[in-house]
Amino acid sequence: MSKYETVVGLEVHMQINTKSKVFCECSTQFGLEPNSNTCVICSSQPGAIPILNKKAVEAIVKTGLALNFDINKQCTFARKQYFYPDVAKNYQITQLDMPLCSRGKLTITIDGKEKVINITRIHLEEDAGKLVHEIGSRKLDYSLLDLNRAGIGLMELVTEPELRSPDEAFEFLNELQNIVEYLGTSECSMEEGKMRCDVNVSIRPVGQREFGTRVEIKNMNSISGVRDAIAYEVERQKEVFNSGGKLVQETRLWEAKEGITKSMRSKEGALDYRYFPEPDLVPFDLPDSFIEDLHKQVPELPKARKARFIKDYNLSEYDADYLTSVKMVADYYEEALNASKDKKSSTKLLANWISTELSAKLNASKTCITKSPVSSQNLTKLISLILDGTISGKIAKIVFEEMYEKSSDPQKIIKEKGLTQISDESTIIKICQEAIFENPKAVAEFKSGKERAIGAIVGLVMKKSKGQANPQLVNKILIEKLKD
Amino acid sequence: MDEILTNRVEDLRIKICSGKVKSKDIVKACFAHIKKIDSKIKAFLKLSEENSLNQALQSDDKIKAGAKCGFLEGVPIGIKDNIMVKGERMTSASKYLENYISPYDATVIEKLKAAGAIFVGRTNMDEFAMGGSTETSAYQKTANPWDIERIPGGSSGGSAAAVSAGMVPFALGSDTGGSIRQPASFCGVVGYKPSYGLISRYGACALASSFDQIGTFSKTVKDTALLTSIIAGKDYRDPVCEPKEWIDLHNIDDLDILRALKIGIPKQLLDYKTDVEITKHFNKAVNKLKLEGVKIVEIDVPAYRYVPALYKVIMCAEVSANIATFDGIRYGYRSPNGKSLNDEYAKSRAESLGYEVKKRILFGTYVLGAKNYYRCYHQAQRVRTLLINQITDAYKKCDFIFSPATLQMPVKFGETLSEECDIFLIAANLAGLPGITVPCSFTGLGVPMGVHFMGLRFSDAKLFQVANAFERISEFDVNKYPTL
Repeated sequence: MSKYETVVGLEVHMQINTKSKVFCECSTQFGLEPNSNTCVICSSQPGAIPILNKKAVEAIVKTGLALNFDINKQCTFARKQYFYPDVAKNYQITQLDMPLCSRGKLTITIDGKEKVINITRIHLEEDAGKLVHEIGSRKLDYSLLDLNRAGIGLMELVTEPELRSPDEAFEFLNELQNIVEYLGTSECSMEEGKMRCDVNVSIRPVGQREFGTRVEIKNMNSISGVRDAIAYEVERQKEVFNSGGKLVQETRLWEAKEGITKSMRSKEGALDYRYFPEPDLVPFDLPDSFIEDLHKQVPELPKARKARFIKDYNLSEYDADYLTSVKMVADYYEEALNASKDKKSSTKLLANWISTELSAKLNASKTCITKSPVSSQNLTKLISLILDGTISGKIAKIVFEEMYEKSSDPQKIIKEKGLTQISDESTIIKICQEAIFENPKAVAEFKSGKERAIGAIVGLVMKKSKGQANPQLVNKILIEKLKD
Repeated sequence: MDEILTNRVEDLRIKICSGKVKSKDIVKACFAHIKKIDSKIKAFLKLSEENSLNQALQSDDKIKAGAKCGFLEGVPIGIKDNIMVKGERMTSASKYLENYISPYDATVIEKLKAAGAIFVGRTNMDEFAMGGSTETSAYQKTANPWDIERIPGGSSGGSAAAVSAGMVPFALGSDTGGSIRQPASFCGVVGYKPSYGLISRYGACALASSFDQIGTFSKTVKDTALLTSIIAGKDYRDPVCEPKEWIDLHNIDDLDILRALKIGIPKQLLDYKTDVEITKHFNKAVNKLKLEGVKIVEIDVPAYRYVPALYKVIMCAEVSANIATFDGIRYGYRSPNGKSLNDEYAKSRAESLGYEVKKRILFGTYVLGAKNYYRCYHQAQRVRTLLINQITDAYKKCDFIFSPATLQMPVKFGETLSEECDIFLIAANLAGLPGITVPCSFTGLGVPMGVHFMGLRFSDAKLFQVANAFERISEFDVNKYPTL
């Protein structure tokens, strides 16, 4: 049995994050009454003419600049013709010969090594509407058409066939999603359909230069779904080869529930889209100043930010990765840090609190960090209360619960509940003496050399002080007393 | 025919505004005349008598009360049935749009409403403006008022016939390949197609987007200039509508203009078999111009010979895409016999579109097919560039290009015009240039013939001056109306 190499190329569609659609003034708002968000242009009434939304062009150029693309200064459009009710005009306005962005690249990290993936192009086009064939589980004997989504701007990104495994595709999409999220040019969630991905998969014997027969897979609704679909498809293709069969060029659908791909149409059924230049939109040139301005708007991207976090904040690779993988989390972190009086000593503790306590709470309540009930300032306050010894880490967790529930200030909570840490030595000595008295067994064990036995006595002290005794102080005093 | 109907718009609007003539009287006279003769001409598809009279009374009241009146207050106008008027039926003379109600106003309609014009009715045309005789209308055949056995020309035959017979003082049409100027010439009125981008196309049912322009019919060049001054101008809803500079259309009286003028006559005129009457009267016109001091030069535009072919390829290509939206899904005719989505598309279109429309869709689909694109569509665009370059070169030798409007006289119903008949008109569409036909003479047939002036892009104001000067020396009697 010969060894095969996997060859994958991606076509990624991302809804452009603009207020209005790409060729009309309708809003891009999600989840409205069917067809309430339409006009004479996106429902293709006679005499209607598309008007280009410049913000959509900006979003694509900005994305292109962030991914090292060459920007084509001439902006031209084409009509791609096919009959389907979700495209009211029965042609889609898209870009053909001259996409706004050509030849870009994105670096992924795979098994600790960096790999550059070349991206062929990014172009601008319009989204289609939605056809509904069933209501709930009831299948309709007609179809319903909703044009609310029709005409929302899309950026289509096409990679070179340079990905070599399902994991590489997974990494690529995650990294792309990160970057685009940082740019704010698309919300790109696959679950909400704001990012869609078609995959071209082929295999070839290792060492062979020619590509094998390519199969296109559609219908994945998560990035891990893309990985699973490729993995399945590679195995399927290997089986076909190994059993002496021949692959046909076709489009297959990923059935997530069953975890398999099913044939949808063969290449013979492929459409002739009869492209031609869009006569309603005159080609125009992007001014240099337009591109320069957008260049300035490209923010620090995840990789650079991560490196800076490690260097400037002395964070671990893991923490920096966690914080920077979502822009809003990194923003929250830096906001909190900037509010801190003692920045240097807070960096790690703050990172920990965000990645553990806060993220657990947010995940449980499905809340976005930008809407966190615990503001970055309040979290900073909590951290400084820990650092200056006002409360222990344990108490901090109790305070945090309260902060999350009531969105309140930690100082206020501590005052109200009397949770301030006891650091007064004479008070602690008193409690320690009580504890030693009440637990002779542990005392005896400790004295006979079993140092771990001190834990039981510490526990008792903490219990007696309702957790408010300063743990370092308790330790110190107990050891002094026991060694006496 | 009521004397009141022989008023020119330039006088009529002043008389109405000053109260000398009542809008009510002119509107009543229009309808009386239409009722008397339109059973023979069939220029109108639909009349709005009640509405028009109400509007006229309102205008009269406004004037009586001394309120500020619009530039065309109370003046009746005919509208070609492919221009959107909110709340009114717009059929484009197709069965497909038989019950279609316009959901919005075209930009030109908005402007005319603001100016106080009264929309008397919708004029007949070739189906979707495809044709040169108005015979492809799904509803009726319009007759040439000078000889009711002959065609009025087309596609705006209804507007041409209505103005020619004095049913309305002026009318709107659309011109994609001579559709205003050819019928104007056949019916003995002034027909004008503006520079591409002078008048907004928003709200005009698209035929071939890169050639379509809304334009005007009137008895005199001055009325044409006056109407144009109301409807022209930049419109954000039509991205190609961007006049370079504002054109003053009000002052077109410059009789001296002919003295310093250089007019080019295409050498290629001799390559075609031109009707002997047309040649005779055209030569007379040339001599008259010479007597006025015009310098006549011969120009050489060899690419004229490709005009019919390249027009057909590009126009049909755009037609195939523009008409695709008429699919029976969202509005318009839907076949009750469809058994599946594709079957429904096919039957809805087959049952509601006429022969000429189908022919053009098929031809356009063919020339855009992947196998034919470069050989047909792309090649036609290259030849179009060649033609534009040759015409641009020709303008180095002359200010305007002059030719007979058509090479043939209007034929009888059922007879066909040659492919070359309108080439001098179509060249203006292909090159985006302004063109105007002015009545020249009555021929031996008793039917008028016209001449065509074509200028540089956005030289429309000067074009009016020249056409106006020609009108004054033309032997055609503008005050003569057909007897019916």
